Amino acid sequence: MKRVVSLVALLLLLVGTLSAGGAGEQSAQKEMVVLKLGIWPEETMTGDIELHKEYVKRFQQKYPNVKVVPQHYKYSVDTFVPLAESGQLPTIFETWFTEPQKLIAGGFVKDVTDELVQLGWIDKMNPSVRQLLSDENGRVYGVPRDAYALGLMLNVALFREAGLVDANGLPKYPKTWQELAETAKIIKEKTGQAGMVILAKDNAGGWHFTNIAWSFGARFEVQKDGKWIAQIDTPEVKAALQFVRDLKWKYDVLTPDPTSEDWGTGFRGIGTGTAAMYLAAQDAVNQPTMTYGLPVEDLALVPVPAGPGGQYSLMGGTPYMFAANATKDEVLAALGYLEIMGKAPVLTDDVIEGLRADAANRKANGVPVIPTFPAWTDPEYLKVQDEILAEYRNVDMRLYQDYYDVIKKPGVLRPEEPMLAQDLYAELTKLLQAVLTDENADIDTLLARAQKNFQSLLDAQVNNK
Amino acid sequence: MGTLQRGISGTGRGRVSPWDAAGWLLMLPTVVLFAFFVWEPLLESIRLSLYSAKGVRLQEFVGFKNYVDVVRHPDFWAAVRNTFLYTFWSLVIGFMVPIVMAVSINEMFAFRSFYKIGVYLPNVVPGMATVLLWAFLFRPGETGALNILLGKLGYPPQPWLSNPQWTIPLIVATLTWKSAGATTLIYIAGLQGIPSELYEASIIDGAGIWARVRHITIPQIFNLARTLLILQIIFVFQILYEPLVMTNGGPNNASVSLMLLVFRYAFEKYDYPKAGAVSVIISLILVFLTWLYFKLVKEQDTQGA
Repeated sequence: MKRVVSLVALLLLLVGTLSAGGAGEQSAQKEMVVLKLGIWPEETMTGDIELHKEYVKRFQQKYPNVKVVPQHYKYSVDTFVPLAESGQLPTIFETWFTEPQKLIAGGFVKDVTDELVQLGWIDKMNPSVRQLLSDENGRVYGVPRDAYALGLMLNVALFREAGLVDANGLPKYPKTWQELAETAKIIKEKTGQAGMVILAKDNAGGWHFTNIAWSFGARFEVQKDGKWIAQIDTPEVKAALQFVRDLKWKYDVLTPDPTSEDWGTGFRGIGTGTAAMYLAAQDAVNQPTMTYGLPVEDLALVPVPAGPGGQYSLMGGTPYMFAANATKDEVLAALGYLEIMGKAPVLTDDVIEGLRADAANRKANGVPVIPTFPAWTDPEYLKVQDEILAEYRNVDMRLYQDYYDVIKKPGVLRPEEPMLAQDLYAELTKLLQAVLTDENADIDTLLARAQKNFQSLLDAQVNNK
Repeated sequence: MGTLQRGISGTGRGRVSPWDAAGWLLMLPTVVLFAFFVWEPLLESIRLSLYSAKGVRLQEFVGFKNYVDVVRHPDFWAAVRNTFLYTFWSLVIGFMVPIVMAVSINEMFAFRSFYKIGVYLPNVVPGMATVLLWAFLFRPGETGALNILLGKLGYPPQPWLSNPQWTIPLIVATLTWKSAGATTLIYIAGLQGIPSELYEASIIDGAGIWARVRHITIPQIFNLARTLLILQIIFVFQILYEPLVMTNGGPNNASVSLMLLVFRYAFEKYDYPKAGAVSVIISLILVFLTWLYFKLVKEQDTQGA
């Protein structure tokens, strides 16, 4: 008897285990288009959620046949592939500016060229941003949320404390890298806080360093006879690396350990007043202010300093992308939602309303309301956008104007190096770590090794194809 | 499983048959889970490493190309060297710690349970919390806990983890702090299995504590220590999240490990075939080390006999 009971119990257990996995929800209504909104704000952002609830209300009036499913998704490398491979990705989601090429190559995202053509958006996209979101055949896989161009972010309070302000109270910021070293030194001496944040923890370190090295005249990749050639072991890169080394060992103006600084900790330094200067873009002004509580009037964004090789600003875009299994209708619904949000390059009432709501929300959260860096090039659209942003302006534009003036100069903006950018950054980060942790690191040997390493990657993955 | 199977069938027939249905049914979930969660992924990752892929969708058979690519990658040999260094330092720093702790606790009369719990506590702390905790201790500059202590003693702040010579030993120290307690408990269990007559006899013969440890305790736990040694090598060889969180492989590759390369291929580049290739290389090295270990142990045993 005992045995029979145990047998039955076991069978029940097995059946239970097996069936648990199979019961899935099936959407009954076929004619309804389901829009899974991965760009829904996370739970803690209550203000943003209210904003989106309003968006949804207006969206539903326009698209009654679309069922909106709020599904906050924060892109992260450890959850992305399982979601994508199992077809569970939200219809539309936001990712990082480093990811589009990787996602396109992996077949994780949908080609939305036809939909963009249908809506007439395609030609209004900033060409360099469009290139970032396209495959080698020119098919487009994403829509820019915004574009960015690096500048130098300042904690104005520290400048004030160090006496580095003019009669109007505006910071006397450095125009060249040499001036930056001297300014940083004064700040360190007067306030005890770090003058400059140099990142050296992950690839963001190499990413920032390319911008520094460009202004010393470096060009990291060139194409010769159809082959890509690495140019790391050059006098220009050497000069830039020497400069970073001097910031640490000669001027001693960096944070205690640059090898533990990544993109986010840099903003913490600026936001909490433990560092005065940091390479950062206009799309991240919410980081030191909203996230780390810096008052808006203490933040400034100025141009990247110039070097002996010129003045450059690294640019790119932050994209929205779409699940590979999204249907045409779903993509169109998602794009319609972007229109409601004011992220579309068209001038409907919805867009204007969306832009207005976004600016108001920024103002309410203590985020500087400053001009965007145009991901869309339609002049009419940009004009209206600027007007709306000006209405909600909560900062002294003199703290930002030079930045916008400089990035409008021809030749200043520069996209990432075209081939294997992440691998290049990885090699450069290693260089930074070497010179920042060892005062006597032999730069020549390091550069020669990095050159050899990166060339071997180019040969294996690009030249060999 | 074995005892259970005997127990159930024993009540029915009083003997064990290999075709006992209830026994097999009992085993079935385990067999299924084992095949599904252990063997199938293992074989699948070997297959994956021989193909090119988009995501995890295989594209075409490329033979050993992925292996060639990962071996030629500039970080590969640094990772191999470091992985052996991790293992080496874990033996230098970590191997004796649990034995010493177990023997000391075993020799205590009072507060034995207190110390047992005490050494085990770090195991209860979630891994990520441990790593972050130690990262705070090792923080460079004047705000790091260790540097504050050094400052009180009048020494300048040290860079700790960002000194390439110290990175691996310090990470291993963290690892040892975290996991030595569990091993200590195993040794204590082993020590308590030693017949007390041996100690009583030796005390009567006038042996002191060191003589007892040397002639009774160590020989008695020798086999246990040998097994735990190979387990430790296998465990430390796959070190991942400590360097990932504390240094991300830096500075300048001073702490990059083979598993960290797997992580980077899989989760930073979504290049699963190459991640599979590095994993297979790790398994092959471990299979080789285990084989070498058993060969040496066997020789030693035959010589000893």
